[in-house]
Amino acid sequence: MQEELFNKIVNMDEEGSIKLAKEYLDRGGKPQELLEVCRRAMDAIGEKFEKGEYFLSELLLGGEIFKSIMEFVLPLLEESETTKLGTIVLGTVKDDIHSIGKDIFKAFAQAAGFEVIDLGVDVPEEKFVEAVREHKPDIVGMSCLITAGISSMKRTREALRASGLEDIKIIIGGGRVDESVKQFVGADAWSDDAARGVRICKELLGVEG
Amino acid sequence: MAKSPEELAKERLARIEAAINLQEPDKVPLWGVGGDIVAAYAGITQYEFCYDYDKAVKAIEKFMRDFPFDTSMAGLMGLEGRIFCVAFSEFPDISPALSLITGPMHDVLGDKYYRYPGRELDENATPQFLGGTFMEPDEYDELIEDPVGFVAGTILPRACTNLDTPRKAMATWVRLGMECSKFFSAAGEIGRVSAELGYPPFPMGWGYSPLDIIGDFLRGVGTVVLDIYRYPDKVKKAAEALTEPITNYALYHKYMGARYAMIPLHLNEYLSPKLYNEFYWPYLKTVILKLYEEGIKPLVFFEGHHDAHLDTILELPEGWGIAYFEKTDVVKAKKVLQGHSCVMGGIPMGLLVGGTPMKIEEYIKNLLEEVKPGGGFILAPGVGTAPSETPVENMHALIEAVEKYGYY
Repeated sequence: MQEELFNKIVNMDEEGSIKLAKEYLDRGGKPQELLEVCRRAMDAIGEKFEKGEYFLSELLLGGEIFKSIMEFVLPLLEESETTKLGTIVLGTVKDDIHSIGKDIFKAFAQAAGFEVIDLGVDVPEEKFVEAVREHKPDIVGMSCLITAGISSMKRTREALRASGLEDIKIIIGGGRVDESVKQFVGADAWSDDAARGVRICKELLGVEG
Repeated sequence: MAKSPEELAKERLARIEAAINLQEPDKVPLWGVGGDIVAAYAGITQYEFCYDYDKAVKAIEKFMRDFPFDTSMAGLMGLEGRIFCVAFSEFPDISPALSLITGPMHDVLGDKYYRYPGRELDENATPQFLGGTFMEPDEYDELIEDPVGFVAGTILPRACTNLDTPRKAMATWVRLGMECSKFFSAAGEIGRVSAELGYPPFPMGWGYSPLDIIGDFLRGVGTVVLDIYRYPDKVKKAAEALTEPITNYALYHKYMGARYAMIPLHLNEYLSPKLYNEFYWPYLKTVILKLYEEGIKPLVFFEGHHDAHLDTILELPEGWGIAYFEKTDVVKAKKVLQGHSCVMGGIPMGLLVGGTPMKIEEYIKNLLEEVKPGGGFILAPGVGTAPSETPVENMHALIEAVEKYGYY
């Protein structure tokens, strides 16, 4: 049944996979195991995306299926039962109100086992600084779609530095970021797709991708 | 001796047209940069640029004078207004006029689609299109049945607070008309200044991809993608139903003298080839072909990565128009489309913002070596909106690099 569920998720059978996940629990299946199957499936979807077999549409639907299943699985799990790879503070930077890229990344990062503190969109520098102080994350993820976001990312990077939060790893993501933008911002890594972004986050923490 | 504005405009136009006609011009044409930098360079806020046309026209003039690209992309600020064009698609004199919704028009409409500086955003932020979900999945049938009536009668009153009752709507449409006229008068002023500065007339209309109307204005970008899996037949029929009003709207630009039509795409990179070929491309292709048949060459902006769909462009007739790429490798695209489509793009905005003059020169030199041979290429920023902090010396470096390495 686990294999069947895995295949249904990877093959984008939204209705079928949610139904099967519910049945699994009804028959006494362990929520912990269900979570693991979903994680493996999301990982496989991300891999297919990176290979060029899947596109953004599959990432969106995959994320949606994962969220739907987690809605009834997560309340059944004790915190100790969910392994945590690390914490990411995530937000779309100041003056940019776009959220799709950030949200897809968030779904895949959560599926991979990261705890994600989502600050939302149009997040000012000081809010990133505050969140980093409060949550002490391993990684800060900054997202932007419009080109104006590039400057906001740089300012956020500088604000973190000025606040003595020098050591934190920073990954930037979004449609218009690339190696030049990474250098301009002073980030540690960049990605313009969610699947690669999550893989890089694992690498930044020295976890096997 | 310096060239007269007329000579300069003639030379630039010949350069661009040669590339579009798949020939080798005298030099690789360099498409302009626009965006937040235009206001920032003139020392005004984005709010002033969006709401004070006198200041905006002066800022645009200064930018055009100091950064002599072959075309000027420094223009008045407006965001995608195509849902209004669909609503007015039975009226050739009104429909094209609503292609762009400016800040003052946004105020008049009280819509939920846009966010403008000095209103919902900081005075120095870029105006942004937000979109949203204004239609439920069980309404697809109504959309399919009567797309124009459904958009005009059901969607717009939901999406615009100042259209939510017929009485408010009366005043709103009159006010919008008055704003349009202010906008077109300022646009006319820019036309006059452009001619004085030697920029060629490049009469450009607009088009849109039918599925993008559903994504951008009706269901939301993320939601329409999920709809494709959940209600495939309905989505397909809705895209098909919207094709006629959009084609009509696009063709009306002919009466305004348009010879080109810009079609910016949004969902192309979201879709696998299978979905693209089923839900997106057939309807977009119809719009492109109709324009081409009527003597208007489309300039299609293939947003994001279009690599997976490159071959579909070959289904269009040779010399159909311009394929403008954002992140697709233009060297690869040119190889695929050589002798068939004019290819445009090549300059990553990240390089212009984060690079140095030296890096830019080196990049342009290497790129042009690859894409120059055989002509049919227009050099352009992958996305034309340069942020406020774009170093001025980098833009000069770009222009100088093309001067140095761009001649055939």
